[in-house]
Amino acid sequence: MNEWHVPDDLRAAYLGGGLPDATAMSVEAHVESCSACQAAFPADGAWLETSWAAIADVVDRPRPRPLTRFLTALGVPGHVAVLLSATPGLARSWLLGVAGALAFAVFAAHTADRSMIVFLAVAPVLPLLGIAAAGARADSLYEVIAAAPIPRTRVVLLRALAVLVTALLVTALAARALPDYTAAWLLPALALSGAVLALGTRIAPHHASALLTCGWLAVVLAGREAVFAAPAQTVYAVVLVPFIYLGARRWNRL
Amino acid sequence: MSPDSDDAALLAAVAGGEMEALRVLHHRHAPWLRARLARRCGDPDLVQSAVQDTFVAVWQDAGRYRPSEGAAGAWLWTIAIRRLVSALRGRPAPVTGKPGVTESAEDLVLRAVEHGDLGTALSRLSPDLRAAIQATILDGLTVKEAAHLLGVPEGTVKTRVMRAKAQLRELLT
Amino acid sequence: MEPTLTVHDLTRRFGRRTALEGVSLAFGRGVTGLLGPNGAGKTTLIRVLATTLAPDAGRVAAFGLDPADREQRLAIRRRLGYLPQSPGAYPHFTAFELVEYVAILKEIDDRRARHDEVRRVLAEVDLGDRAHTKVRRLSGGMRQRLALAQALLGDPDLLILDEPTVGLDPEQRMRFRALLSRLGASRTVLLSTHQTEDVTTLCERVVVMRTGGVVFEGTPGELAAQAAGQVWLTTTPPEGTFWRTPDGRYRTLGHRPPAAVPGEPGVEDGYLLLLGGEQVAA
Repeated sequence: MNEWHVPDDLRAAYLGGGLPDATAMSVEAHVESCSACQAAFPADGAWLETSWAAIADVVDRPRPRPLTRFLTALGVPGHVAVLLSATPGLARSWLLGVAGALAFAVFAAHTADRSMIVFLAVAPVLPLLGIAAAGARADSLYEVIAAAPIPRTRVVLLRALAVLVTALLVTALAARALPDYTAAWLLPALALSGAVLALGTRIAPHHASALLTCGWLAVVLAGREAVFAAPAQTVYAVVLVPFIYLGARRWNRL
Repeated sequence: MSPDSDDAALLAAVAGGEMEALRVLHHRHAPWLRARLARRCGDPDLVQSAVQDTFVAVWQDAGRYRPSEGAAGAWLWTIAIRRLVSALRGRPAPVTGKPGVTESAEDLVLRAVEHGDLGTALSRLSPDLRAAIQATILDGLTVKEAAHLLGVPEGTVKTRVMRAKAQLRELLT
Repeated sequence: MEPTLTVHDLTRRFGRRTALEGVSLAFGRGVTGLLGPNGAGKTTLIRVLATTLAPDAGRVAAFGLDPADREQRLAIRRRLGYLPQSPGAYPHFTAFELVEYVAILKEIDDRRARHDEVRRVLAEVDLGDRAHTKVRRLSGGMRQRLALAQALLGDPDLLILDEPTVGLDPEQRMRFRALLSRLGASRTVLLSTHQTEDVTTLCERVVVMRTGGVVFEGTPGELAAQAAGQVWLTTTPPEGTFWRTPDGRYRTLGHRPPAAVPGEPGVEDGYLLLLGGEQVAA
């Protein structure tokens, strides 16, 4: 620019608001294109940092993952939504596995003897595999999570809940494709999920899940339809009672 | 990109997604933008939010800056004053009308700036007329935006600009 | 000065293998280096100190709190920053998302505060411009710095870092040392390493471990002094293990070879002699 710069006293008068408008306009017209005079404006360090932090917060905010956005829209607090969408059990591989198993079960129900036993046997164990994957030890950040102050049970329960809800929704959708609609899988699924969480406090989650999966399939093979009859369903409901009670007591701490 | 890079280089870096360049620009320009906005708005919170919005807009639109079209400071100011107008939008909006800037008045004022007669001439205008000229010509706002900034209906802005233009023509010729 | 962290008579076994045997130590403010070969028990000790592994016997206290008690353990973790040996990562996350995830585990629930803190630690490890890069696209050194960033979340009073300098290039190593020595001014920093250079440049105190026990505890100067009178320089290649110095002479440890002059002992010499001076000298 040219050699003239806004003198210090003129700038002080401008900043103080005591300058006649016409002179102020001339100061402004010059400062707009003179980097030396721009730099001469006093910077309030604290104001500058606050201003920058607010800008950085908008500019540098990551785009929330679709699942996080969905959960936040449902009213889940932001930090819980981020935690849930990072659940390793919800990985694509698990979802593909669930979809594949359900598709096969639906297919089997339409062929063969139109028996829904495959679907009924498979559906309740699908959440177990997800919960096992969500179990802390399968997590590649296991050691970091283990040293974090957040209570481990909180992480495990939140993740199990996310897996369970997802599995139930997908299964319910698949059940509509069955020749006859049935919800007989629902209570066993919930009961088995509760059992895997309870066992998971004693043994490793993937062991608990494998044990329960094998046990369940063995019982279904032995008992066939009886496993889904009314007396058995009552048993599943009764098994669920302590979990519902504990869950309700702990709900606000999640 | 370094802290000493010129504005055009920094804006190019911002357009390329370099946040550090935006930080340097902010620290370089926020102080004078803040002071200039503060002369047009007495509420420090509104000024602060206008400054913040300005640099968020710079982050999104840095690619639109063309060094050939003028100094980066002038470009930043056109953004900043419009952000301030947006921040003021919360107030009751004055009556609407057709936007438009009187070109002949602009030429007149710019010629006066060159000849140095402007100060004398402007100081003879009433404060209301002066503010209208400043908003529409020096700050480059549309009549609608000026109306928001000054808190008067658009028709009033137009009348004041016309009256100011007439008075200036009289004083400068 | 009151030590931040103490362990007393610590023992930990994995099956039939003893990883720690009767270890007693105290760590105060400043940077302490934990040196030792693979299998010496460094990582086991670090995991016990980081409250992720319970000892079979012995006592641990951090800030006067006992990690065996659940509430006190959580209180310790609130003041702890921990970089595990294999920190792990979710490759499909961005650097920002990964650190934010750990910030949530560290109970920084307010979004604005959390995001500001994530940006701060990323800038601290020079990853500010990689915040939105997916972890799988980061180089090994960058991932290591990312893992360090998560340990710095919440400005912890106690930093426990397991081999933090692995994979860092020389420039990053320098930055890292500057960062740690700044942090060490007001905090307790414990790092395990294979690099005696890290110890020489950074640590006020050094602990040397070997086969599950502590064989040395003192300043780097004292560790170097262990080799006093056992470092030799010759003009012709001596018997046994030796290495050439930049000025064309031969350096060896242990017994004095014929026609040798004494050399200046360093931390590395002291460390090597502690680990098995006989083999080096033989």
